[in-house]
Amino acid sequence: MKKNSAFSRFFTVLVFLFLYAPIILLIVFSFNQNNSNVVWGGFSLHWYKELFHNRIIMRSLYTTLLVSLLATVISTIAGTFAAIGFYGLRRRTRSALNTVNNIPMVNADIVTGVAMCLFFVAFFALWKDFALWVNSVQSLFVLPTRLTLGFPTLLIAHITFNIPYVLLSVSPKLRQLDKNLIDAAQDLGCTWFQAFYKVILPEIKPGIVSGALTAFTMSIDDFIISYFTAGSSSSTLAMTIYGMTKKRVSPEINAISTLLFVTVILLLAVINIREAQQEKAAARREAAPSATVAEMAGSRPRRTPLPVKAAAVAACVAVLATTAVGAFQNTRKPMVNVCSWGEYIDEALISQFEEETGILVNYQTAESNEALYSLLKSGAGDYDVIVPSDYMISQLIEEDMLEKLDYNNIPNFSLIGDQFKNLPYDPTNEYTVPYTWGTVGIIYNTAMVEEPITSWSAMFDDKYAGQVLMFRNSRDAMATALLYLGYDINTTDEAQLRQAAELIADAKGRGVYQAFVMDEIFLKMEGGNAAIGAYYAGDYLTAVENNPDLAFVIPEEGSNWFVDAMCVLKDAPHKAEAEAWINFIASTEANLANMDFIWYASPNEKALAEYPAYYEELYGEPLEQEVYEIIAAPAEVLERCESYISLPKETRQLYNELWIGLGIQ
Amino acid sequence: MKRTKAFTIPYVIWMAIFVVAPIIMIVIYAFSGADGGFTLSNFSTMGDYTVVFVRSFRLAIIATVICLLIGYPVAYLLSKEGPRFQRVATVLIMLPMWMNFLLRTYSWMAILENNGLLNQFLGLFGLGPFQMIDTQGAVVLGMVYNYLPFMILPIYSVIVKLDNSLVEAAHDLGANSVVAFRRVIFPLSLPGVLSGITMVFVPSVSTFAISTMLGGGTEFLLGDLIEQQFLGGAYNPQLGAAIALVMMVIVVLCMLVMNRFGEGEEQAVVL
Repeated sequence: MKKNSAFSRFFTVLVFLFLYAPIILLIVFSFNQNNSNVVWGGFSLHWYKELFHNRIIMRSLYTTLLVSLLATVISTIAGTFAAIGFYGLRRRTRSALNTVNNIPMVNADIVTGVAMCLFFVAFFALWKDFALWVNSVQSLFVLPTRLTLGFPTLLIAHITFNIPYVLLSVSPKLRQLDKNLIDAAQDLGCTWFQAFYKVILPEIKPGIVSGALTAFTMSIDDFIISYFTAGSSSSTLAMTIYGMTKKRVSPEINAISTLLFVTVILLLAVINIREAQQEKAAARREAAPSATVAEMAGSRPRRTPLPVKAAAVAACVAVLATTAVGAFQNTRKPMVNVCSWGEYIDEALISQFEEETGILVNYQTAESNEALYSLLKSGAGDYDVIVPSDYMISQLIEEDMLEKLDYNNIPNFSLIGDQFKNLPYDPTNEYTVPYTWGTVGIIYNTAMVEEPITSWSAMFDDKYAGQVLMFRNSRDAMATALLYLGYDINTTDEAQLRQAAELIADAKGRGVYQAFVMDEIFLKMEGGNAAIGAYYAGDYLTAVENNPDLAFVIPEEGSNWFVDAMCVLKDAPHKAEAEAWINFIASTEANLANMDFIWYASPNEKALAEYPAYYEELYGEPLEQEVYEIIAAPAEVLERCESYISLPKETRQLYNELWIGLGIQ
Repeated sequence: MKRTKAFTIPYVIWMAIFVVAPIIMIVIYAFSGADGGFTLSNFSTMGDYTVVFVRSFRLAIIATVICLLIGYPVAYLLSKEGPRFQRVATVLIMLPMWMNFLLRTYSWMAILENNGLLNQFLGLFGLGPFQMIDTQGAVVLGMVYNYLPFMILPIYSVIVKLDNSLVEAAHDLGANSVVAFRRVIFPLSLPGVLSGITMVFVPSVSTFAISTMLGGGTEFLLGDLIEQQFLGGAYNPQLGAAIALVMMVIVVLCMLVMNRFGEGEEQAVVL
């Protein structure tokens, strides 16, 4: 056979370089001292140490491994038997079934995911009626009425998309199988199961092994289907990573991925070396003149040597056992599901709360108020506590999606400043406890603009074309345009709204926007990748810590000021725990810690007033008044700002329509 | 083997519940309005999204063609290497999947940013900076990068099983290597090519993570459009289901046409 030329070798090497460059980068930066993926700050194992303390990552790793292993085992067994069954069918029937079997593989992941999500949610609705009926006609047992997406649905989805791969790799092996062998075995007195075990299984084993391997790899790598079927209580590593890519991927993720990756490389290397050795041995035997035909037949290279297999099985069993024990312990502990925004809590508070109360916190984040609403409506988000903004709260109350709070369980509510109680979104204050408040403005890079930004016009100006970041949520994006046009941010006038959308669309058409972002803005602004971006004041202060060139302005036309408040969802399964969490977060200590970490103003009167002293004590230097005023905008600034109020249904539909229109342009 | 037929029953039931029923759900949703009643309005507005359909299919086709142009030669060259090299190489092609694709795509963000590694590197030679991220080119790059292995492996697994004596026979009959490739090797590798195309095209046309991360979220692809209606900023599952349904039908039609053309009966698919 012709050998490949140097040129074609070079081509192959280039392709491999392309495949591995990003991976090498990730591995290198997992040893980075600082938390950047671009700037090298020196070698450190810091992130590997941190990793084991990061509860969110460890939990999602555990969910990923558990679901992948279980799905692989179940789908391998099911797929193998299905393949044997298919094999015995008539050709017509078999090809019809094969077509159905191929659906999950040929169908786009997003369609499979969405379809299953809709199916599960519809089933849960039916189940609720059924369970209510069952509970009403008898009193022997009580069926749970409220089912939600979670680990079981995730597992079902994974099994469903894995079986076809197993079937597909076992079927060809079965077709190669000589049918007479089984008949012969049975003629010689084997029962069917003995024939299966002694004849069929060894023949199709390579197919089973490669099917299982494919299934496992697919499970580990899957994101889209999990995203739609896992719900909020059990997120996989991929989902955690997806949440992080929207803000800042913490380097612990690099570290855990490196560990996983290296483990797999080592495993595969061991298998390959063993295989190569066996092949060599086999070749030597074949070369020996005394070898008989029978011996040669028996010495064909096996795919995986027994000890390695045994080790792999043992490892799987060990992992399964530990995870099962972990799962058991976790289910017994009380827990609370919280959904908030990215970079919006001092995570030390979570551990502190868990230690003090023994309640586990499952802390999730959503991208925007609108996305949170979709999560709740679609059934994908099954939370106890959420932290929406003012206008979304009134919408949720209007749709009867929130539970009234028992303020007796939240004594710290009394610490909240009076100006943050009984606000228009919750006039009698029955549903909410304020979390933070703040303003919207423009972040800009002083090194990249010529003169200070003072007006919303910067968001639509050709001067900084390609350097501007616009909000990726309809309400905030439209507000920038409405403010610039001099309209009310709560306008319901269709002509004004269309004009605002037109303004954004026009600017987009002229190439003003580099991107539509939410928390990606941290990465973009800190790295000096964009000059101007509209965002929230607190996040500016986080960004400026990493890039001192950044400045913040509340434009002269005015802006939006908002309150984000904690609420409990209707029928939340952990209401008591939820109220304990809310009470904990409302305390002065938690508010101080949070304010220091996320730079959003606290509604807790004492914490807000004490913060400068707290800062000075902590860092040994006084807090600049300028910074304090960005966190907690003074009265004269707030006068220029308005808060969003909930819009009527028709206007919300118009928002959706205009928003999708912007995206498809 | 009569009694083995019974083994199909559990799986057939499973498929009916978890594969067929969910797809029926999509159809039901696509034909219902927000109040639950029957309506065709989800489809009558579909014309507004033509731009997105065209954009998604165009980018996916470009990505698939690039994958084929890179993947076929790699698969072909691999099959000519020694067995040990082949074994290591196939493992190396599968291996990136163990690093989650979102993370690898995120890594590309760091490479392609305006201030990213590539621009910094080019800056050393006084070049740039170039706007690379948040462009359609970056989205295509992301697709090619993520799905290239799905093109290489099926083609490779078909080529490596080719009966070499056919090629030798072609040579004996006077074919030079170009002709032998064109008349013998390529036609025989077609099943692999077809399954490679399917495995690259389908995820490319429906992706949403790659376009959000590398495309800057300014131009929706079909996946973004669907995700926005279900879990994103514009909740409207009925419309989302309708878009998903239309996309599914178009993709299935493409596949049918392609398979007819390649007479690929039971394809020699996968890894």
